Amino acid sequence: MTEKAIEIINLVKKFGNFVAVDNISLTIYSGEIFGLLGPNGSGKTTTLLTIATVYKPTSGDVRVYGYSVVSDGDKVRKMVGIAFQEPKALGIDKPYDLLLWHAKVVGYSGEEARKVVKDVMEDLGLWEHRNKYFYQLSGGTRKKVEIAKVLIQKPKVAIFDEPTAQVDVVSKHYLWDKIKELKEEGSTIIIATNDMFEAERMCERIAIIYKGKVKAIGTIKELKDFVPLGDTIELELASYADQHVLDILSRFGKVRGLGNKVLIYVNRGEEVAIDIIDALRRSGVKIVRIMVKEPSLDDVFFYITGAKLKEEIS
Amino acid sequence: MIYMSSLLKDLRYILLLVQWDLMKIVRRVIFVAMRSTWFVIQVVFFGPVIAQMVNARGIGLDVSSYYNFYLLGIYTSILFTITASRAYDIAEEFEEGIIEYQLSLPMNRKILALGRAIGSGIASTLFTLPMFLTVIILAKEFDLLTIAISIVSALIFSIAISGFVLTTTLSIKSSDATDIIMGVLDAILIRLSTIFYPAVILKNIAPYYYAAIINPLSYLADLLRIFYSFEEFGEIVIVNPEAMASYILGLFIGFTVLAMYVIEKKIEGGGWR
Repeated sequence: MTEKAIEIINLVKKFGNFVAVDNISLTIYSGEIFGLLGPNGSGKTTTLLTIATVYKPTSGDVRVYGYSVVSDGDKVRKMVGIAFQEPKALGIDKPYDLLLWHAKVVGYSGEEARKVVKDVMEDLGLWEHRNKYFYQLSGGTRKKVEIAKVLIQKPKVAIFDEPTAQVDVVSKHYLWDKIKELKEEGSTIIIATNDMFEAERMCERIAIIYKGKVKAIGTIKELKDFVPLGDTIELELASYADQHVLDILSRFGKVRGLGNKVLIYVNRGEEVAIDIIDALRRSGVKIVRIMVKEPSLDDVFFYITGAKLKEEIS
Repeated sequence: MIYMSSLLKDLRYILLLVQWDLMKIVRRVIFVAMRSTWFVIQVVFFGPVIAQMVNARGIGLDVSSYYNFYLLGIYTSILFTITASRAYDIAEEFEEGIIEYQLSLPMNRKILALGRAIGSGIASTLFTLPMFLTVIILAKEFDLLTIAISIVSALIFSIAISGFVLTTTLSIKSSDATDIIMGVLDAILIRLSTIFYPAVILKNIAPYYYAAIINPLSYLADLLRIFYSFEEFGEIVIVNPEAMASYILGLFIGFTVLAMYVIEKKIEGGGWR
């Protein structure tokens, strides 16, 4: 995972006076699944649409496998496929016609196009809807049609903007598998999402974006370590946790005693747990059960953006 | 060889973009039906009445000749109106995100502009084809070469107008402004032209005349008139046929190049009002 698939370099995108993306720089490596996580209006979609050359940067650049979206747009578009947040179709469009046209545009010959469209539609459970008008389809089915475009295209860089919003649980899991298959076939995947479970399940690395800026970037583990005292060690003791025990434990982090249970808020919980067991054993305190809980991605997200959102509301 | 392959690819994209416009033809059926009704009323009722009212002999025509003059003017005006109405389709496409989708497709932006202008022109010309055939039947002109040249002229004119509409609509990015601009253009261009009145008469009203002789609609209407009744109309049209054809060709090149430039350099997604 060393080749740079996408380099975002000091990207700024303004709409009038509104700064949607504010000097973002990050690198996405070839073959990884990268997530953009952030609240509504944080600049995720604007960033994705700039990578796809739909928006022009106000300043800065994005390079896709070395080609600039500013000066080599044609070459970038040949490598990038995007499933938009809102499915792009007119009410009078029929899924089959739309996907067949898309398949031909992305390079399939007539016969190949018909085959790949049928295969992907059947795979996603869209075949029965092929001749319905778009306005007759449910939100989830429309979303699947949008995703089908990228699955047909199999681009070098596949972008999914909130891929499973409005999709039912079963289909959601199936779509995640399909996106992972695309990665296995060699695509670099970028997912923008609000769904923490989706981000945690799908993405190898994540950038948290807030007010157009990258606030944190890393693997899920690295982001969780980012939260101070984010791990919780839950101890169940054989006897009441008196002040002496709490004093021993307070050396490791913030402590809360609840009868014979103690919660200790620490950094790097798994490493600290060993030291805690050791310290208690030396003091003759018997441990019944010990459990280490990492912070959830929700905790990470709220730590980085939530506090500031509350400030804004107040 | 590489150049050839790239050229073939571009040609394929253009054909696919033309197919895109033809696939969407169904959404305009009601609008075209309304314009067709208007056309029928013009040729069946108003045309003959106006031909009686106008002092055609004063400009060297008889009553039936003026009726033919009027028919070709009406056809030109309806071709322009239907082509200009593409602005509303483009506005709808922008609102539904289709333009953003097409901007993301793996094709050169110039080809995208050219394909959309040609597709739009072909769709508009196809819509007016039944009306054009009606005009031919009423004018009793059945020379196949003349018919073919007329249709090609109408198509080139329609592609040129499509290029203009595409550029304007995507540049202003506003449904309301599009409505106003297209409404005003439709009203002004049709009236300040030789659609209804011959250039020879307009010469008496200087501002009207000068507006008419730079108006694209005058050139297509008079060119078609020349094709169908050269002998009768030769003296009353703006300029000679070669100059009129050159003007329409120039318009086609100018507006399509403008659309290609604007879409490649200026247009991006978002921001529709």
